[in-house]
Amino acid sequence: MIEGGALWLTFGVMAVFTVGLRGSFIVLGERGVLPPGLQRALRYAPAAALAALIAPDVLLEAGKLAPANPKLAAALAVIAVTVWSRNPWLPFILGMGVLLAMRKGFGW
Amino acid sequence: MNESFRSGAREGFRAFLPFSVGLIPWAIVTGIAMRSSGLSALEAVGMNAIVFAGTAQLGSLPLIVAGAPLWLIALTTIALNLRFMIFSAAIAPAFRDYSLRRRLLSGYLLVDGVFAVCAERLLKSDDPHWRWGCYLAPSVWCWGLWQFFGLIGVLGAGSVPSGWSLEFMATIALLVMLVPMAATRPMLVAALVGGLGAVLLRGLPLRMGLVAGILAGIAAGFAAERWSERRAS
Repeated sequence: MIEGGALWLTFGVMAVFTVGLRGSFIVLGERGVLPPGLQRALRYAPAAALAALIAPDVLLEAGKLAPANPKLAAALAVIAVTVWSRNPWLPFILGMGVLLAMRKGFGW
Repeated sequence: MNESFRSGAREGFRAFLPFSVGLIPWAIVTGIAMRSSGLSALEAVGMNAIVFAGTAQLGSLPLIVAGAPLWLIALTTIALNLRFMIFSAAIAPAFRDYSLRRRLLSGYLLVDGVFAVCAERLLKSDDPHWRWGCYLAPSVWCWGLWQFFGLIGVLGAGSVPSGWSLEFMATIALLVMLVPMAATRPMLVAALVGGLGAVLLRGLPLRMGLVAGILAGIAAGFAAERWSERRAS
């Protein structure tokens, strides 16, 4: 766990890069242009990054591949409800419901 | 504060208001996720105000918990926020006649929802006062909403007993963002390769598996796009 001053430094660094990206062309104006090929490739960065953060959390247990675990079941429920419904609360209710039911109810 | 600023502010605010309701669960969940990852209430509120980027905040939490090196957190922040550079390029002409200070503030405030709702209106208008109102009103509203409901989540998380696995809310939030993104085949390929890559390469030193997974996902998505174009032509 990052704590204390190092944590605030982390927030600062995250803010610098976030404002840097958001402000990039707004601040540079006409002077900055990104090559179109790179722009097209970078459109895939958010999806790849999100999946790279999610997958280890739902596919691994204690560092080992675990195809049957409560988190994966909850994740599948979340995917299903996000595809079928636009209700913003439902994925959280259902996802946490499945996870807690399996962990507390069945002691998984 | 002249009349055209106010008229722009009204227009931007009215257009954005219905969308902004969808922000409320995100802000609450982010607040809860920060607290259940081990941040103090002050640190969580500070992160909300300083970073002000939900996806990057949620995405960085597992790395902060694991004590990951700063450069990896920076790189993850960049990957999750790259879309803003594309938004920034698209919306930049609307800020051409503003001071540097105003442009920096605009950069800090730029979020997906305001961009989606206001970009076209801004680019169509020649009146700098109207444009500033139309951008500033929904952006400041969005900022306030994020801080307020984030605080509700931060304070509410403390009253939930531990052992409820509330930190999983962050993963759910990331999933809810990913699913609509992966609607086209190349995006789905990018997500699958990125996710599986990060899992399979997790043994790499310095947590390079995450970076390698993201890069593999980008390359795979781009290749899939090229491939489907070639088949179509």
